[in-house]
Amino acid sequence: MSDKKTTFTSTSQYVASKELLASVNVAVALQKPLLIKGEPGTGKTMLAQAVAESLGKKLVIWNIKSTTKAQEGLYVYDTIQRLYDGQFGEEGVDDIARYIKLGKLGEAFDSDEQVVLLIDEIDKADLEFPNDLLWELDQMEFYIHETKRTVKAKHRPIVIITSNAEKELPDAFLRRCIFHYIDFPNAELMEEIVRTHYPDVEDKLLKDAMDVFYWIRSIKDIRKKPSTSELIDWINALQIGGIPTDRLREELPFVGVVVKKDEDLETVKHRID
Amino acid sequence: MFGKFFYTLKAKGLHVTLTEWLTLQEALSQGLCNSSLTDFYYVARMILVKSETEFDKFDMAFDEVFKGIQSENEISKNMLRWLDKSDMIDEQHEEMRHVMNEEQVQIDKEDVEQKFKDRLRDQDSEHNGGSFWIGTMGKTSFGNTGGNMGGIRVGGSTGYQSAFQVIGARKYRDFRDDRILDNRQFQVALRKLRQFSTKLDIPKTELDIDGTIDKTCNNGGCLQIVMERPRKNAVKLLLLMDSGGTMIPYSSLLNELFQSVHKSNHYKDVKTYYFHNCIYSKLYKTPECENGDWIDTEWMFRNLDSDYKVIIVGDAAMAPEELYSTTGNYRGPNGGLSGMEWLLLMKRHYKRIVWLNPKMAPGHAPWREAETAIKGMFPMYKLTVNGLNQAMVKLMTNK
Repeated sequence: MSDKKTTFTSTSQYVASKELLASVNVAVALQKPLLIKGEPGTGKTMLAQAVAESLGKKLVIWNIKSTTKAQEGLYVYDTIQRLYDGQFGEEGVDDIARYIKLGKLGEAFDSDEQVVLLIDEIDKADLEFPNDLLWELDQMEFYIHETKRTVKAKHRPIVIITSNAEKELPDAFLRRCIFHYIDFPNAELMEEIVRTHYPDVEDKLLKDAMDVFYWIRSIKDIRKKPSTSELIDWINALQIGGIPTDRLREELPFVGVVVKKDEDLETVKHRID
Repeated sequence: MFGKFFYTLKAKGLHVTLTEWLTLQEALSQGLCNSSLTDFYYVARMILVKSETEFDKFDMAFDEVFKGIQSENEISKNMLRWLDKSDMIDEQHEEMRHVMNEEQVQIDKEDVEQKFKDRLRDQDSEHNGGSFWIGTMGKTSFGNTGGNMGGIRVGGSTGYQSAFQVIGARKYRDFRDDRILDNRQFQVALRKLRQFSTKLDIPKTELDIDGTIDKTCNNGGCLQIVMERPRKNAVKLLLLMDSGGTMIPYSSLLNELFQSVHKSNHYKDVKTYYFHNCIYSKLYKTPECENGDWIDTEWMFRNLDSDYKVIIVGDAAMAPEELYSTTGNYRGPNGGLSGMEWLLLMKRHYKRIVWLNPKMAPGHAPWREAETAIKGMFPMYKLTVNGLNQAMVKLMTNK
């Protein structure tokens, strides 16, 4: 395969289900943003890295926080710097363009080659945030008032948006997206995922650890179900610790890596006895 | 036929818009469905459905529209021809297609089942790669990891997962938003109380520092002050939870609700008290409802003013005497009033009260005497995502 692939496939670091691969490829083909939801720890953020790697494109990450405003993704006009420069008589104060700093979205639009843009955890921001980006994501352009310049995407970036469903996203925004919900991986896919991280993990260790892992997930009154990334950490810990596998089930070594809440730890211990 | 699918989706309560529908048409014309019904299912779902809570509705609509077609042979052939554009099928499919002849494409379900039963009876060893027995990598309609497109799978996972098997499993049923809720879904619903309160009509009293700096700098350094509305939430919440015997099955659910309310620290004030079966003259400070560890209900009336929005959580499954008798409280003092009268006092004092019931009867249920009586007094919602959302709207807007 050449470097410039047009379809996304699983990489050596990231194993994706068939449906997820299809969603990515449909989103790329239709030039729509891809909205990814799923339980924490199912690899939503890693997906964008994998897509960028697989397609051989640069990845631009825009991490959203509760204070993030849509404008920050487009550009910021550094008025204070300009004021300072004005007071000290710096060169070029009359050139406003010097004080316009492009945000992540602007960076992705302005790039000379197509990039993968990850808008991570969009639901963290204010309720209005997604709506403020509708035009920009649709038309892939925005206007800088101060310099009267229109920044238009030279190549439409591949936009991947993740959400933890902390807030409902507005309908108008959802209408424009391709949606994929990452299911919790079944045992088979999980085994593949673990093996991409630790190719030479012992079969017995992996099997026992996974049995225990799925068993913990199946306990009804557990508060926080352990996720993929926790299983991977646990297997790593077990490998480093060199625990004899035959006692895994009874002793649950390093179980704190998988079960994070005190109450849950109690529940699990209680079930074993 | 596609039009019918659109209207079936609408009828199932999915808000599919024309924009999304046109996007799907575009995807079809670009050949993104690889001419397979299963791929069509996934592509249609990822474009038309935007929440995992609605996957189940989509599955049912898809089932209704396309399963009917499968059982009618004439259209089924059309369907297959329509789907069967071999030039668009990827290489892997191409290879598989060589081993499939016409007869195998037209699957007769009964025949397959009958053969399956026969072989189950007759087969006595493991088979891999054959075309008669049940085994792996084969071409018969059963077994696993095979190339046959519509047979019976025995264990393992499918390469060509049939859309109907996916639907049949209804694996997204758990995500429906009318299901009893758990963990963080609570928090999401409780945030609605904020959503309705950010646009409060209050004077601009806070200095907007960023705005002021911006305006001042733009103004060439001459100070220009910008004021803004404080972004405070004025909602005060009073949570009253039933901790009685019949509520024990729901204790972890209530715990989740309690946690969520306290994690959503955007309320001006949150107060939580517990009661046992019905509200009487005392409210308990802890879910254990121990005598002495309580406050007077009248004290609550005096100290928590009528602006508090009240959420009562309980199963409303009291015995009639617990509700109507002035000595009906078998755990503590009645305070001279019956449970019903205490509830009436609540209703009179607080403007906004909703009752959340984890096991509310659907529709009218006159045989649940206490529940019916309380329903007549407070708006009652089932403790599900939908119910909680409706209750939050009720609390904010009184609609």
